[in-house]
Amino acid sequence: MVERRGLSGEAHRYLDGHGPLPADPAEREAAEQFAVAVKAFADGLPALGDQVDARVMAAVRSRARPERHVGWRALVEPRAVTLRPALAAAAAVVLVVLSSVLTVLISGGPGSTRPAAAPGTILVRFELRVPQAERVALAGTFNGWSDSSIVFARAGEADQWTVTVALAPGRYQYLFVVDGERWMPDPKAHAQIEDEFGQMNSLLVVGPRGVVRS
Amino acid sequence: MSVRQWCFVVVGSTVLASSLAAQDRDYRAELGGRGAPAAFVNAVAAQVDAAQAAGVPTGPVIDKAFEGWAKRVPAQRVVTALEQVRMRLESGRALSVAAGYAPPPEAMVAGAGEALARGLTEDDVRALIGGAPGPEAAAAGLTVAASMHAQGLERAAAVRAVQDAYGRGVEPAQLFELPSVVADLTGHGMQMGDLARRIMQGGGLPLPPMAGTGQGAGRPGQVPPGPGGQQQGTGKQQRRQ
Repeated sequence: MVERRGLSGEAHRYLDGHGPLPADPAEREAAEQFAVAVKAFADGLPALGDQVDARVMAAVRSRARPERHVGWRALVEPRAVTLRPALAAAAAVVLVVLSSVLTVLISGGPGSTRPAAAPGTILVRFELRVPQAERVALAGTFNGWSDSSIVFARAGEADQWTVTVALAPGRYQYLFVVDGERWMPDPKAHAQIEDEFGQMNSLLVVGPRGVVRS
Repeated sequence: MSVRQWCFVVVGSTVLASSLAAQDRDYRAELGGRGAPAAFVNAVAAQVDAAQAAGVPTGPVIDKAFEGWAKRVPAQRVVTALEQVRMRLESGRALSVAAGYAPPPEAMVAGAGEALARGLTEDDVRALIGGAPGPEAAAAGLTVAASMHAQGLERAAAVRAVQDAYGRGVEPAQLFELPSVVADLTGHGMQMGDLARRIMQGGGLPLPPMAGTGQGAGRPGQVPPGPGGQQQGTGKQQRRQ
């Protein structure tokens, strides 16, 4: 930028291209001399070329990358932490509760009897024909004998019920629960076995390729 | 150690301990959530604790408790059943240890307990564990032999069928196919007695080939009938799901 201190406002406007030459001769001469000096300076500058905008913007973009490691640095750099015992205890309680809740959610119920939802599970379809039922559920070793977690859907005919369950290869005992009261065996199971309570359970062994039932 | 480090240690240890404890407390909360009275839950817990102290898996005990409660079985009868389950597991553990697995895997102990429950003898259990190529195969073999016996196959034939599969190098998971093979063959008209004779004469049970393993001798439906048996369609629907 050219220094223009000492010139009048009228001369400034002339030099900026916003007004005529000043009326005052001294001012006019000073303004003209200044204009000549500016032109001489400008003529001495090298030509910028057609691609100057593109080059400038490319340079700006290359230098203006965001700092991507700020978050990581904040985690690993040492810093002073003020810890209040009461708050730390409260945080511990929250973590304990959260941990317990997560454990229950992940285990999905009464635990070690439920097969893991592994990629190697097999889809097994259970069917039942029972007239005048309002609700049919599947209870067994795969769901902690819950009579509400696996519910059949009506299939076509009114008395036909079906449900498909993903089971890992293994051996399962189960029964159908009709209307929350009647516990019925599956006539298509591999076997019916004593349940140690004086009743019978259905037995099904799921192989890695599926199940064949007669 | 600074106060901060102590806090981290305490919090971390608490979370870890609570996670481990939650797995064990889980069944109590679940039973309570299903409406079981505290007395019943405590009786179950006593059996579970006894199982744990004996070094046997608690899963079968807990599972039987849920089954009993779901079926509204009187509490005392449930507890009696839990004791029986636990004692069978302890027998299964002893047999597993005697076979050289100390400590034995839980699945093996559970399989042995189940085999005893289904009527297999201790000699059968020893043979199935001792003849297995590994602990996983032993666990699966026990379960599968018990299941095939429950299907109606003679005890000795059920054990022999599993041993034959061991000898053919069948993978443990593939052993679980055997009950389906039995169902398929009998569904096609073969009598259990004929099937047992066939097995005892060394015919084995055909397993469908696993993808990429080359194991098995073809699908059950392709197997010729055993001695005295007939392989013919009976019109019963066969399904592999």
